[in-house]
Amino acid sequence: MASACRPAAIACLLLLQAQADAHHSFAAEFTAEETATVSGTVVEVWFRNPHVRYYIEVEAENGEAQRWDTRGTSPSLLVRRGWTRDTIKVGDKVTIMGHKGRENPHLLSIIWVELADGTRLGKVDY
Amino acid sequence: MRTRLSRRGLFVSLALFPLAGAANDALVGDWMLELTGKGPRLVGQLTLGRQGDTWVAHVEGGPAEVRVDGDNLDVRIDSRDLAGFVFYRRLSGRYADGKLSGTFTIEGATEDPEPGGQWTGVRKLPDRAPEPPRPVDVSGIWTPAPGVDFRKYTMDLTDKAQAWFEGYLMHYDQPNVRCVSPGIVAMVAWGAYPFEILADDGRLTFIYEVESEVRRIFLDGREPPEYYPTSPMGYSTGYWDGSALVVETELLEANVRDFRGEPVSDGARMHERYSLSDDGRRLSAVITLLDPENYRVPPVRRREWVRDPATVILPYECDPDSFYRQMYDEGKLDMYFERSERRLIE
Repeated sequence: MASACRPAAIACLLLLQAQADAHHSFAAEFTAEETATVSGTVVEVWFRNPHVRYYIEVEAENGEAQRWDTRGTSPSLLVRRGWTRDTIKVGDKVTIMGHKGRENPHLLSIIWVELADGTRLGKVDY
Repeated sequence: MRTRLSRRGLFVSLALFPLAGAANDALVGDWMLELTGKGPRLVGQLTLGRQGDTWVAHVEGGPAEVRVDGDNLDVRIDSRDLAGFVFYRRLSGRYADGKLSGTFTIEGATEDPEPGGQWTGVRKLPDRAPEPPRPVDVSGIWTPAPGVDFRKYTMDLTDKAQAWFEGYLMHYDQPNVRCVSPGIVAMVAWGAYPFEILADDGRLTFIYEVESEVRRIFLDGREPPEYYPTSPMGYSTGYWDGSALVVETELLEANVRDFRGEPVSDGARMHERYSLSDDGRRLSAVITLLDPENYRVPPVRRREWVRDPATVILPYECDPDSFYRQMYDEGKLDMYFERSERRLIE
């Protein structure tokens, strides 16, 4: 499930500050102190305001499938930086790093998404 | 779900420290702070006072912890980052030659950790007399510039406001997560979205990308009709004080002020003062909420934007389905609807 990151080897073609552009408090749902990285397959895309969501299916250590709810900023801000509704599609393999949910163990606030070709979308200074 | 940071008692709403060493009366009063370093420049007002044997500090209208020891002082200011994570800026410095100066550090985890730096404080100048109008061209598209605003987190709430706030659930009660307008008081201070100003004779029209809200600011002195309802955007009139645009907003509907969920009452007013840089490329604003029913000291926000003719204002269609679906998935839908009345601010 967890994926080791290779920041130096990843081409950062699209840059954005994912949650830095929030318009409501992420502190209510997410912790700033804890992050997690998960790899899996996109099973649903929700590219609408107020926040994009990618549901991904991740294989847990016991072999069972886990469904993760990963959340980004608003499409209005993403498309201006080149991240459109077609950038990540159902069936894509992705690795996502983000702030962990406070209560829901399978909830992430996206900091970056790494696509199958190594492209990383999100913050580059993390 | 409720973040621990909003619980009463964890954060000291008004921190008072005994006078230590020789009390320096020269510190009492209003100071304009400027924080500089590797991060964006910040500006804000610090008010220092004394209540008996204790020092009291407010920054941008909100309480801050303060220690004074002779000419030395230490101020700890709670702030939120753009994602809503709460952290502190600790200013340590001293008073000399009629000014304050020192260094500041950051305490706490944030989405975008800030570096520390230096800070200065100079006496706030008294308000000057109004000047004859000298209108300037503020029309165009403006995108947010980083910095300037402290994003002070807690404010000095009245007992009534504090009692209401105690029951606020930061995520579930925030209007815009379910695609309901958060209102102009919150929107005007948010960070990420551009807005456009259209100028006509006697009127300015502000078009905000976020929530696709439109705001008319009448410059011809007209009053709202008697039947004009309260609303999240209120009713705005403006005038030119020299080259500064002053906007007064009334008829606001009860709402919340910012991420923390502090209330804005029916009857609140908002005062904004916009200034254009000499080269016309930068617009700045000081925004003051006047709501004595909820705030003992008026909250202040500051913003800057840069003129950006290359930007377009995008449509902002909002669909609350994912908000309700998350609650459904997490078994919280009943909880949400059982407290619907709670989201009506009296």
